[in-house]
Amino acid sequence: MRLANRLVVLAILVVGSLAFLLPFYVMLAMALKSQSEVAVTSMWAWPKQVTFENFHEVLTNPNVNFRLLLRNTTFITGVATIGTLFSSAVVAYAFARMSFPGKDRLFLVLLSTMMLPGIVTQIPSYVMYANIRWVNTFLPLTVPAFFGGGAFNIFLLRQFYLGLPRELDEAAFLDGASHWTIFRKIVLPLSGPALATVGMFTFIGTWRDFMGPLLYLNRSELQTLEVGLKTFQAQNGEKWHLLMAGSVLVTIPLILIFFIGQRYFVKGIVMSGLK
Amino acid sequence: MTRARLLILFLLGLITPAYANVTLRFICWDGDTDMPGIRNAAHSFEATHPGIIVEVESVPANYQEKLLAQVAAHVAPDVVMMDPGNFQKFATRDALLPLNQFFKDTPTFDLKGYYKNLVDAHSLNGQLYVLPRDIAPCANIYYNKNAFDEAGIPYPDGTWTWDYKVRPELREKDFLWVVQQLTKKDKNGRTTRWGYAPAWQDLLTGMFYLSTGARLANDNEHPTKLLYDDPRVIKAYQFTADLALKEGWVPSATELKSVLQQEARQTFTSGKVAMMQSGIWEVPSIRKELIEGQPGYFDWDIALAPAYKDGTRAYPTGGSGYAIISQTKHPHEAWLLTEWMAGEAGMMELARSGRAQPAIRKLALSEPWIPGPHTPADQQFPKNRIITDQAAPFVVFGSTSPLWPEVSGLAGQNVSSIFDGTKTAEQVLKTGNARGNARLQQLLKEQHLSLFDWSKGIVVGLLLVAGLGAWVYLPERKIKRSPRAKREARIAYIFVFPWIAGLLIFTLGPMILSFLMSFADWDIIRPAHWRGLQNYVEAATVDPRFWVSLKVTLLFTVVAVPTGLALSLALALLLNAKVKGMPLYRTCYYLPSLASAVAASLIWRRMFQADGGIINSIIYGSDGHGNFLGLAHLLQPLATANGQINWLGNEKTALPSIAIMSLWGAGGGMVILLAGLQGVPQFYYEAAILDGAGAWQKFKSVTIPLISPTLFFSLVTGFIGAFQKFTEAFVMTEGGPNDSTMFYMLHLYNNAFLSLRMGYASALAWVLFFIVLAFTVAQLKLSKWVYYEAAG
Repeated sequence: MRLANRLVVLAILVVGSLAFLLPFYVMLAMALKSQSEVAVTSMWAWPKQVTFENFHEVLTNPNVNFRLLLRNTTFITGVATIGTLFSSAVVAYAFARMSFPGKDRLFLVLLSTMMLPGIVTQIPSYVMYANIRWVNTFLPLTVPAFFGGGAFNIFLLRQFYLGLPRELDEAAFLDGASHWTIFRKIVLPLSGPALATVGMFTFIGTWRDFMGPLLYLNRSELQTLEVGLKTFQAQNGEKWHLLMAGSVLVTIPLILIFFIGQRYFVKGIVMSGLK
Repeated sequence: MTRARLLILFLLGLITPAYANVTLRFICWDGDTDMPGIRNAAHSFEATHPGIIVEVESVPANYQEKLLAQVAAHVAPDVVMMDPGNFQKFATRDALLPLNQFFKDTPTFDLKGYYKNLVDAHSLNGQLYVLPRDIAPCANIYYNKNAFDEAGIPYPDGTWTWDYKVRPELREKDFLWVVQQLTKKDKNGRTTRWGYAPAWQDLLTGMFYLSTGARLANDNEHPTKLLYDDPRVIKAYQFTADLALKEGWVPSATELKSVLQQEARQTFTSGKVAMMQSGIWEVPSIRKELIEGQPGYFDWDIALAPAYKDGTRAYPTGGSGYAIISQTKHPHEAWLLTEWMAGEAGMMELARSGRAQPAIRKLALSEPWIPGPHTPADQQFPKNRIITDQAAPFVVFGSTSPLWPEVSGLAGQNVSSIFDGTKTAEQVLKTGNARGNARLQQLLKEQHLSLFDWSKGIVVGLLLVAGLGAWVYLPERKIKRSPRAKREARIAYIFVFPWIAGLLIFTLGPMILSFLMSFADWDIIRPAHWRGLQNYVEAATVDPRFWVSLKVTLLFTVVAVPTGLALSLALALLLNAKVKGMPLYRTCYYLPSLASAVAASLIWRRMFQADGGIINSIIYGSDGHGNFLGLAHLLQPLATANGQINWLGNEKTALPSIAIMSLWGAGGGMVILLAGLQGVPQFYYEAAILDGAGAWQKFKSVTIPLISPTLFFSLVTGFIGAFQKFTEAFVMTEGGPNDSTMFYMLHLYNNAFLSLRMGYASALAWVLFFIVLAFTVAQLKLSKWVYYEAAG
């Protein structure tokens, strides 16, 4: 890149980053202010007196057992992410690189599962899980992830797999490799960026999920962080300083996950030799 | 709790009969502030009732959704928190037990000790369904003593009155005169400190028309006629709008709305208003925000809000209590718990936090609710807590009818244009009243429907599954395949098996059920009734919001999806450049998708705020006379009251504002496209450069085709998501102003969970399903532009 171009790109990057940093900045600024300072200062202002009292209060709050909730959330998120990654990677392979009767129509069925608003399936699903006695366990939040991992992820991976040249597996077929081997040895290693995306999205989505844990978990010692945070936001009793301190704590792992995940965003293959 | 009282409780415990291992579940919507008190009360109940275990659950958000799901699944808690606005939904459907039958179970129980109007508000057809726990008259004027001292006005004692004009001759006995005196303006006539602010707009308007004797419906329990066109109601709306827009004594509705409700309190504690009206629940926060010795501290107290000039008092209010779910297996024990939690034990705990005024009058007159010698120094304020008792007889509850949210929403649909001065109260409320009344009459029509026939329903459901399977599999079954292809097909089915199993086990059942319910009248609580095609007919012909919400959603979708995708692509290209520190930049751009939704909504309110919001400050400058890039002139037709644009409060700009807001989530799309860009092999670019291609050529001929699979993905899922847009409108605008952001999903949600018309909501959902399906199929058919390396 020429120097001028480089500088323009850099300028846009820096200015844009600052703009997109705003929500996190506001969260952090409010989290570091005392309740009385939150009340009287503008939310854009950096605290006059930085205090870590809010974090301490959140971590020791008797209603929100932060450590326990962290453990629950990590468990649910970890299991759901693993389940989603494995099962969506496998299912998407069949839709992308194999042929079988009814594939196109089945794919439309897959997409259509995203089209019905969840509001109207919420109660029937709940009744179903209650009947098999899964309510008040982590099962409704984790087990379905192993059954395909959702249309969104399957679709995403399918698109990525379809972008990989056919020549790759044809060569392997001639060597007598099975689909399972090609999937494991050729397709998966080349799909780093897409798998990282699915993994990150699932992790973040599950970590941040509110309605699922709220509905399916009753006992407070089973709850997740996102639900626990809501206790600072109850009707007529919002505690912004605590809510924001809690939000910062809950967001930090997600930033780390994204930071790690995007490292897999590298060119998968050097294909110069293939064509 | 004092030691003596604990001892008594303990002794009582010894003589109370033991209960054989009964576990009661108790849920409430209280949060961090009140939960310790509630848990304490539950523990003391357990201590005095050996053998009963209480599981306390706090559901601070989406309370009704959770409760409804549990009721539908027959796993509801035994004792639940309820309030006047919601209990009728459950009580009329026999989901709650009438409590009168239990009164004799506890000899010490005396309903007469409770505030009578609170008891009435929780009763239906003469039966009590909710035992009140707290009452919250919104009759407290929090006042800044410094402001009164400065103006030389004696502190208010509650004997003041209000009239439609200032009465200088009454001096401090005239509310408006005091408000006028306490208002400060700069030399340009702009208000620098308001004399008074209600914590939310309806509070002031409501107090005005209620105290002149007007009501919004002819009957609280069973409204058959709306009265928004009552001249007194119209006058109160116009009058409160004028106090803000013409006089500048009170913040305008847009100024109030652009700050969140709890921030109205903060306008008081930061000295921007001299008096604020609200409920007593503000006290604990005010105590923490005004600390003696800290900068900005001032002395404060509360006074009773004014009566109308003829001496009539009436205050809007809230309140809540506990009810027993009729599914309970232990009604007697559930009553004991209810009576304990909404009795002296539970109320004393809540009174201690200073937020919840006991529903038993005797307790509302004594410590710890009223400060006394035993009250700790930091809980002595406000001194004048006795007014909470004085106000209680004058509280007026809103309608408890389950039909109320929808019809009152329609009637008041356009009130924001009264408060921004674009329409008169007369115009708005007369049309609104007619609209709401028409809907009310439709909803009131008795329908005699037969029970939904589940045996037929199951047959139809199974046929649907079979039909779907046949549609997928049969057409291609006959195609001749080589043995190798057959083997591949068999292996392929093994690969997709997890998803098919998941579809059959978890997904398809609820989908089919909702499809069946779209032909039913189903309120979640009671068994469904057969309604045939009537839900669909109602949507297309009668429902005033069906077409409006469809139009809003379509408009949003066709604008926001392409714009969002373009922005995501631009970001992805930018963040794919080889620059040092890229992981950091990428993280920054993705942060809005990670940060809490609450922080985001706070920020966007500040961005769009009409007065002093970031966007308006840029366009109009900090003095309000700027003209950034000529935008002020360009946008002139959109400006309202103060000459600037009230972004979220203006019919013309609210939807575009939400579209702008949703662009912030472009980080998600950016990540997907960034992943796609990694699949573009470098040698294509090298080849293009050798052919002499410029930057645009490279973009058009190499980048776009090679990331077209991911672009296609973003487009399809973007449309599916946009059609189901919900959160922004739900949190920021609630569909207003004048339905300009009434997204289809919001309308659907309101029907499902506010009006409990789940059958109708299911029909709405399936209409949306087929629209989105048609859109998606069209995109698949037109997907020739998508280039798949694997195919070519």
